[in-house]
Amino acid sequence: MSLNFSSPLFLYGLLGIAVPVLIHLLTRRQQKHIRFSAVYLLAQSQKRSIRKSRPNRLLLLLTRCLAITLFSLALADPFFSFRQSEAFLSATPTSIVFILDDSYSMGTQVGKRTLFDHALEFVFEGVKQAPDKSEYSMVLASSPARIKQDWTSDKTIFEKVLKEQSVSFRTTRIGDAIDQSIKLLDSARQEKKKIFLLTDLDKNGWKEEAFSKITHLAPYPVKVLNFSSLQSDNNKGMVQSAKISQEFLTQSRLLRVKVEIRNFSNILSRRPLSLFLEGKIVKEELLNIPPGQTLIHEFLYPLRRNQPLNGKVQISDDALTTDNSRYFSFHPSQNIKVMVVDGDPETISHRSESFYLERALNPFSVSLSHIDPTISTLAELPLRNLSDFSVVILANVRELSPDYELELENFVLNGGALLFGMGDQVNPKYINERLGNLLPVKLDSQYQPKEGEPPLHLLLKNNTHPVMKIFSPKELEEMREINFYSMYTIQARENKIFKVGTWFSNQNPAVIEANVGKGIVVLFLSSLDRDWNDFPIQPTFLPWIQRWTQYSARGLDSIFRQNFLVGETFRQNASGSDSNWIVRAPDGALHLLGNEEEVFSNTFQPGIYHLFSLPSSETSSAIQKTLAKIPNGAEPAGTFTVNIDIKESEPGKISQKEIESFLEGMKIEIQEPHSQTATPKTSDGIPLATPFLLMVAGMFLIEGWMVRKE
Amino acid sequence: MENSAQKFDAQVLSRISTLKMTAMNLVEGLLTGQHRSRHKGASVEFAEYKDYSPGDEIRHIDWKVVGKTDKYHVKQFEQSTNLKCTILLDASGSMGYQSPLKDQHSKMGYACTLVAALAYLLLKQFDAVGLTLFNDKVVEHIPPRSKASHYQHILHGLTNIPPQGTTRIDDVLRGLAERLPGRSMLILVSDFFVQNQDLQKSLKLLCSRGLEVILFHVLHPDEIHLPFEGDIVFESLEDDPTLGLDPKDIREQYQKTIHDHINSFKKDCNGLGVDYVFLDTSEPLDQALSYYLLKRKSLIKL
Repeated sequence: MSLNFSSPLFLYGLLGIAVPVLIHLLTRRQQKHIRFSAVYLLAQSQKRSIRKSRPNRLLLLLTRCLAITLFSLALADPFFSFRQSEAFLSATPTSIVFILDDSYSMGTQVGKRTLFDHALEFVFEGVKQAPDKSEYSMVLASSPARIKQDWTSDKTIFEKVLKEQSVSFRTTRIGDAIDQSIKLLDSARQEKKKIFLLTDLDKNGWKEEAFSKITHLAPYPVKVLNFSSLQSDNNKGMVQSAKISQEFLTQSRLLRVKVEIRNFSNILSRRPLSLFLEGKIVKEELLNIPPGQTLIHEFLYPLRRNQPLNGKVQISDDALTTDNSRYFSFHPSQNIKVMVVDGDPETISHRSESFYLERALNPFSVSLSHIDPTISTLAELPLRNLSDFSVVILANVRELSPDYELELENFVLNGGALLFGMGDQVNPKYINERLGNLLPVKLDSQYQPKEGEPPLHLLLKNNTHPVMKIFSPKELEEMREINFYSMYTIQARENKIFKVGTWFSNQNPAVIEANVGKGIVVLFLSSLDRDWNDFPIQPTFLPWIQRWTQYSARGLDSIFRQNFLVGETFRQNASGSDSNWIVRAPDGALHLLGNEEEVFSNTFQPGIYHLFSLPSSETSSAIQKTLAKIPNGAEPAGTFTVNIDIKESEPGKISQKEIESFLEGMKIEIQEPHSQTATPKTSDGIPLATPFLLMVAGMFLIEGWMVRKE
Repeated sequence: MENSAQKFDAQVLSRISTLKMTAMNLVEGLLTGQHRSRHKGASVEFAEYKDYSPGDEIRHIDWKVVGKTDKYHVKQFEQSTNLKCTILLDASGSMGYQSPLKDQHSKMGYACTLVAALAYLLLKQFDAVGLTLFNDKVVEHIPPRSKASHYQHILHGLTNIPPQGTTRIDDVLRGLAERLPGRSMLILVSDFFVQNQDLQKSLKLLCSRGLEVILFHVLHPDEIHLPFEGDIVFESLEDDPTLGLDPKDIREQYQKTIHDHINSFKKDCNGLGVDYVFLDTSEPLDQALSYYLLKRKSLIKL
């Protein structure tokens, strides 16, 4: 049974009591002393006087003070709770691990505060009440679960760490947190040990694999405090995804933003959806989202400039605001200039490699693929300026013009990409001798399955290669069925490093790639026309060759299209480059990555991350890991977006039974924070604001009457 | 002695010197005076006839009546006597009240002038006057004398009054009742601020002893109207506890209380045949006293 306040800040209004006190003191009349004869008659009169109840100045002061007190109390929204407050902790010193679920679902609003704020307050109160010599530690349960504070008996230190905590954008990993807590408790000093798990019981956080990793489940008591019970309002929906594509029509370009919005509630949700570009609302639609369903909505926005666009889609706020927006980043593609050198031009166009390559690289009259192929014959080759191209494809080339291989070498060393396609015109001897600096392998011999043997196929065991990532399992299956009738076998050269992108079914490499200088060389060991395989007429050929072109061109394409989830690692795939990289986080913080570092893992904040490249020469020792501003010479190198993992938004809650099965052997007690020291909700008790306001009105009436009588 | 004489207003004394104090009732006195005595005496004023009995003076036989009725009747005459008066002056602390508002007569000064005036008047009539000062007990007693020089004693007694102590009229009167000569006059001058005392009983006792009692109730206007303003701490001149209040809050009730107090005295006195005179110190003493004596004279049974 206690008096609680929803907005205790208003209690500072009690200082206003000083005003009537000052008025009283300033207007106080001097007290006179008179020696009088009939004092006993005065006393009798005072007793008998009907006006003895007439308020004096002290009473007036009291009334005013009371009115101000009641007014302040009323503003602080008091309520009287009949809840029995249980003892939070026993009187004996205890080692307590507080597991704080700081995943974004704990950011659900309860009034003006979040569940996480309530959880923090609970821990504050708990630490305050805990007996002396108790020790505390804190584990944060968001992914990856981590120890935030090791054992300490100093309440001040612990409270300081608590104050620094805020709700994150990550998902929950309760299993790992429990594991960490058990390890902590194993090393605890006190005999009495306890785990407090402060969570919203979001089902996403309770993954079986995390619990199966726990080395041993010691029988420590675990008190699970379900803060979701404080929620008065639920998460009504979220933006599930936002996909960006560029729409090409005859004359104009359109940005197509495809948004999926999920309605978690059981009623039709009518919510506005806004499209933000560069921080401004450019479109807004009011959507009716059917209960429990996902609605797909598309925005079309005309692209006026050929510049990168960053934006987000956002639905109106509900209890959980974190999942109401999703970021995207879009770069109108820059065309990659590709020179296709056809070593075996045929009079019948569809027999030559260039026919297939040209159509694959740029299927339409307008630049849909953003690849701009130029067909060249061997004779024309010396006339071309290689610096105009990003990629050169040598398809079935027998021999190059004299000394042209040096030019090619320079082209690759300076960042160009060279793609080789085999064919009957290829002269392995020439290639092995003259292009030895470029190719990491030697061409051995042409291989053809013997008669009666099945044709070769591609082995596509895993699609982790960046080029292969986009292919769906179905498409990969189609690719596996493509027949290859001939291919070149290879021999590795000494001291040359290369990667095999794809294998043939005869355990020979199908695609080889190697970094040479700043550039890349890719070798496809079959033909790029239909001479040796059926690949060019397969639907997968088109994206495959486009992806390889884009990949090898090291176009920004491969970077800016990347969309990560919070906590995922960004890898910049400009390996071999000696540039340094700077990542600018959405909050403006700058992170410098050395040329050795290709990984950026500080992606804990959703938003748009900007990538800048900084030539190594520019990087002096003066540039620290933490940068104040982007140094001169740094050039924008793309963007990537980080969005929250929507799994955490799913409204499902874990049941007590499931928790008990996960933590078998531990003493589980699931409670609502009501029964503990956490501040109760207004709905728990009798609200007193209205009666207090009525009393204030009454006090002012009395005060007015008293002043009039004065 | 000169100082004490100077203390009293000579004008007042001169104004009242022409007035005569006459006792309403018969008083016993040793000296022949202007007051009627209970005893028949040698005055020229006829009182009644009485059957002759041996021992009566023969010269008082009314021979005309003997001639007409053949019976011996003795003529009796009114006995004139002088008055023995004791003035009781309250010298308790409450009598020392002096108004903080304006320079007015102090209550004690007013009462002393009154006592001096009465004493002068009585002495001038060759009546014996005594003075008793009291608070909770008798503090000074000057026995009644009729000599003119006795006035100086009275005045001397009045000058040496430091008002102090509590009022215990009740006890004082009971003590004096035994000592006062019967059928004399008792003038009691006080503010009658007494608590829990049965004054009526004491007065009754005095009356039963044949004393003529006159009460002079002297009050300061402040004590009647309570004209003070503001937050005031009232400190008692006697032994009442200190009281802090705003007089405005209780003025009406206080005025009612004090009037009730006065009226109850008046009523009690009327019931006992005691003369009650209320004196407000703001009223000139000569006027008040003249008015009272004239009124008293008009009521004398001739």
